[in-house]
Amino acid sequence: MAGRIHTNERQRELFIKKSTRVARSYLNRAKALPGLPDATNPFFDALEDVYIELKDLSEGESKYKKSIGTLCVMVPSELIYAAKARPVRLCSGSYTAYSIGDDYIPRDACPLVKAVMGFGQIQALPAFDQCSLIVAPVTCDCKKKLAGALETVKNIVPVHVPPLKREDADIEIFLRELYRLVPILEEETGEKITARSLAEGICIVGKAQYEMSRFLKYRKHDPALVQGTHVMAVMNAYSYMPAERWTTCMHRLNLEMESRLQKQQFVGKAKQPRILVTGSPIAFPNIKIPLLIEEMGGILAADETCMGERGLYDPVSVIDPGFDGMMRAFASRYTKPCTCPVFVDNSQRIYRIKQMVREHKVQGIVYHVLRGCLVYDYEYQIMEEEFGKMDIPIIRVESDYNEEDVEQLRIRIEAFIELIKLKEYAKHKKGRR
Amino acid sequence: MVKYYLGLDGGSTYLKAALLRKGAVTSTMVCSTGIDNNTAAKKIVEELCKQNQISPSDIGYIMATGYSRKILDVADDDISEITAHAYGVRVTAPTEYRPGMVIDIGGQDSKIIYLDANYNVKNFTMNDKCAAGTGKFMEVIAQILETTIDQVGPLSLESNAPCDINSTCVVFAQSEVISLVARKFDRRDILAGMHLSMAKRIIKMMKKSEKGGDILMTGGGALNIGIHKAFEEEMMKDVYIAQYPQFNGAIGAALIASERGGV
Repeated sequence: MAGRIHTNERQRELFIKKSTRVARSYLNRAKALPGLPDATNPFFDALEDVYIELKDLSEGESKYKKSIGTLCVMVPSELIYAAKARPVRLCSGSYTAYSIGDDYIPRDACPLVKAVMGFGQIQALPAFDQCSLIVAPVTCDCKKKLAGALETVKNIVPVHVPPLKREDADIEIFLRELYRLVPILEEETGEKITARSLAEGICIVGKAQYEMSRFLKYRKHDPALVQGTHVMAVMNAYSYMPAERWTTCMHRLNLEMESRLQKQQFVGKAKQPRILVTGSPIAFPNIKIPLLIEEMGGILAADETCMGERGLYDPVSVIDPGFDGMMRAFASRYTKPCTCPVFVDNSQRIYRIKQMVREHKVQGIVYHVLRGCLVYDYEYQIMEEEFGKMDIPIIRVESDYNEEDVEQLRIRIEAFIELIKLKEYAKHKKGRR
Repeated sequence: MVKYYLGLDGGSTYLKAALLRKGAVTSTMVCSTGIDNNTAAKKIVEELCKQNQISPSDIGYIMATGYSRKILDVADDDISEITAHAYGVRVTAPTEYRPGMVIDIGGQDSKIIYLDANYNVKNFTMNDKCAAGTGKFMEVIAQILETTIDQVGPLSLESNAPCDINSTCVVFAQSEVISLVARKFDRRDILAGMHLSMAKRIIKMMKKSEKGGDILMTGGGALNIGIHKAFEEEMMKDVYIAQYPQFNGAIGAALIASERGGV
């Protein structure tokens, strides 16, 4: 066995070298985009701590008894905060972990689950390894099988998410699952989850959502006050920062945005094509799509992705402030407004995107499909039809967790941005006639 | 004095140049890309000037497109192939063509561009991760069948019973062709089968909602009569061929150059 341990040590060493290099190069590229707000530093630092410094996340955060890993957007963080633990969202975009996970997961599965599996196998990322258990919602097929596969290396709690959410009975299923989670979390941290602690949890996340909603006002501004790639970094940092600290940093970012607005200090040139990104998750360090959009002269004005705005958009609305009432509010909040395509009927996603197109003055949509991500690919057709009617160009770009497809993506995104520019130019010319 | 405008299309296989004056094509030139695009581009500009008895200062603006568009020092600016091809067809499309779809078959990629009535790009689809459905594919098969790229089209038209080629990957299609050869199939039938299989692959890329409108073929691939006929057969409608198909990207770039340079 000694030989095997040795190989593993060597593999881990090489893994760390490679993965920190990739993370650093993407962080640097993101920071190099013009108009980086000073207040985004703590968010970039958080990503750096996780992916480059490989820091112990519990340092200086003694108020949390444990780190609880989560996947997908259907795990109520409120419940985890109520148990005096901190949630860490483990959906990752690591190319290096992906190549490790590739050995354990079938070829046609999506790269995100491969990356998560890779971290489970290599045990080189403290943020991942520190999680004493992982709450894994059973959503798409890949995540479902990932929950099973990870059980060999981690303590996993799969949570059933109903594929239907129209009837009360469907939500009841999810409610039962959340109730099942309560004693598991309590045992993990030794803290009782009470009505009071649930309310505290709602407050913690609610404040983050409040700052987010304020931030959205600035993000809608045309000309842009902030680059979308920087926003993606801020949103990805939410996965790894305790919500309270994230909220404080977000408050400062909002102050900086307000001051930019007052001074009319914009990040780009006028008439930059405003792009919305939707589709498969964009998880750090896999931020090549936002980067390419903005490096090619577009502005990422909005995102409808689960690592971005979706997770923090809808607040929990409590009607009955008792324990059960709050649990019901979670069951409802984490299914009904969720625009994840794993649900059978997901028509609200198109309504939401149409709303965003209007409010963020979007001129084109980049539809991101990770290789093997069937559920998002399914919904592309309807998007193309609907936005075709509205004369909003949409382009499907497929990508994987590696850098080999960058040139192919670049030409598509570059041509797409030119298309929007020329379209606006033609409109302008017609208007003048 | 009326200026000339130059478009350079640095493709994967060939470097194409087109010289425009008053919106019409004056001269075109092609050379192998080789490993040094930049030097090839400089040479082609010199050659074109010599041939047309003009000096480089008579060229008002040079626009580059194609794979190597970003590294050509002689160019004033660059534009993506999609936009260049969409512009090119304004000059190269036959007069009866009503803009709808452009199929471009290049050396290492193929693309479909959807145009509105005013030749503006509505959308596009590209295939560049796989060589099936590209000029490279034709080259590989021509080599196996001991013929040349300019002969594959005419030869395939003589076929009465095209073979089935089902492999969607060049490497597998290659071995499929080899086994057809071993089974003594006529090479004309194999070539006809190859064209049909390429056309089917590209048609699969098309957006279902965009299948109306006229179809125009551009790119070096459009020089192949066999693939042209295969498209007509599979689409069950007429397919137009652009004038100077190989130079369509370069012509489009030159046209954009002339807009920038103020015609």
